[in-house]
Amino acid sequence: MSMVSETGRGRAIPQPSIAAEGVPVWDPVVRVLHWALVIAFAAAWGLGKFGPDQMTLHFWAGYAVAAIVVIRVIWGFVGSQTARFTSFVKGPRKVFGYAREMTSRRPSKTLGHNPMGALFIVGVLIVLAMQILSGLLADPEDYINVGPLAQYVSSDVARQALALHEPLSTLLLAMVAVHILSIVFYRLYKKEDLVTPMFTGRKKID
Amino acid sequence: MRKILLSLLVLAVPAAAAAQSAEDIAGARIGYYRLLGHEMSLLAAMAKGDVEYNAEKAAAAAKDLQTLTQYSVSDLFAPGTSNAELPGKTRALPVIWEDMAGLGDKGAAYVSAVEELNGVAGNGLDALRPAVGKLGGTCKSCHDDFRAKDF
Ligand code: HEC
Ligand code: HEM
Ligand code: HEM
Repeated sequence: MSMVSETGRGRAIPQPSIAAEGVPVWDPVVRVLHWALVIAFAAAWGLGKFGPDQMTLHFWAGYAVAAIVVIRVIWGFVGSQTARFTSFVKGPRKVFGYAREMTSRRPSKTLGHNPMGALFIVGVLIVLAMQILSGLLADPEDYINVGPLAQYVSSDVARQALALHEPLSTLLLAMVAVHILSIVFYRLYKKEDLVTPMFTGRKKID
Repeated sequence: MRKILLSLLVLAVPAAAAAQSAEDIAGARIGYYRLLGHEMSLLAAMAKGDVEYNAEKAAAAAKDLQTLTQYSVSDLFAPGTSNAELPGKTRALPVIWEDMAGLGDKGAAYVSAVEELNGVAGNGLDALRPAVGKLGGTCKSCHDDFRAKDF
């Protein structure tokens, strides 16, 4: 099963160009959403923790993250082959199999997300959704930074949402740290550059 | 008659003692902050446009907040009434009693925002909005440092 022939774009690419520029791995939607997520997440996090007490900008950054997550999930069902959850979410056998190869100092040459990366992606999308939901429901009782859905739930729930929002943000920060450290690990230890394809959409394989 | 009075006295003694329990003090404190919330809810609803602006009502709510700044809150922060000592009954963090000066600073910022609001609350929605935003910011700022998110 070759990813190249299934990305759609791949079919149109003549062989010599593949050798020179690499094969297509990430469609433009995946790439734009990823870097938009990086910016919106950093903005939401920074504004939440260090931003002004009137949190309008934090709310907008949060809504941006929400829009990105929703579009990415839809794209995970209807997007290009490597973007689809069905193409990269694997069972425990595949995940453990891949984990055993992690320590070998060779590039994985995966065209698409590898089975362990898939765990992060599904996990981070779920925790992001929880973060957004907790923000939407939170009522900090300052009457200016009230989540727009807090009025539809009891004050107990609105308080519990408030209490979850900060621990979730810390969890997300830790997950992102592991994500970035993994990418550094691939670059330095496994000699595989994952970042360039996230910009260009193409991966060089020798 | 004397018997009845005496027995009433006997009943009244534990009641009087109970009135000073740590839990009651925390309850009174929560009641005080609920009053702030009550006034703020109208002001914020006007600022957001959920309720139509009314100069008289806005000024009255602002005035009530100002009146409440005259209330001396220090006895509401009696020792032994933090959420470490009264779990589930209060959200007042123990750090309040380690940093009374810090709490005082947040209170001072709050009082000056209330004064500012009182200067403009009756002068139209455009004047009210930023003053309510600023005041709400001072509520958040104190809650961030001195109040637990949940009971
Ligand atoms: C100087 C610090 C401080 C400022 C300023 C402040 N608060 Fe609070 N607030 C607290 C503390 C401490 C509690 C927790 C009280 C408790 O649980 O014992 C609290 C609790 C509350 C509660 C919850 C009461 C309940 O039902 O449990 C509300 C509502 C509230 N504040 C509203 C406001 C509003 C509105 C403002 C601004 C207009 C404000 N507060 C400003 C310290 C502050
Ligand atoms: C500057 C920091 C970051 C870098 C360099 C980076 C890099 C990457 C790379 C190279 C991939 C592809 C991995 C692969 O080949 O399988 C990827 C995927 C992903 N990253 Fe990041 N990332 C960063 C920050 C973040 C942040 C902050 C988040 C989320 C909050 C995030 C969420 C994701 C997700 C969800 C994917 C899957 C992409 C998709 O299929 O849509 N990343 N990242
Ligand atoms: C992924 C998106 C988001 C991230 C990473 C994020 C992160 C944060 C962080 C780090 C804080 C500071 C917590 C603290 O130190 O107490 C915060 C506070 C807050 N956030 Fe978010 N947030 C996100 C989305 C949202 C959304 C969508 C909303 C509402 C619609 C929201 C509403 C709030 C509110 C009301 C607070 C203040 C809590 C308080 O006063 O105690 N957030 N957020």
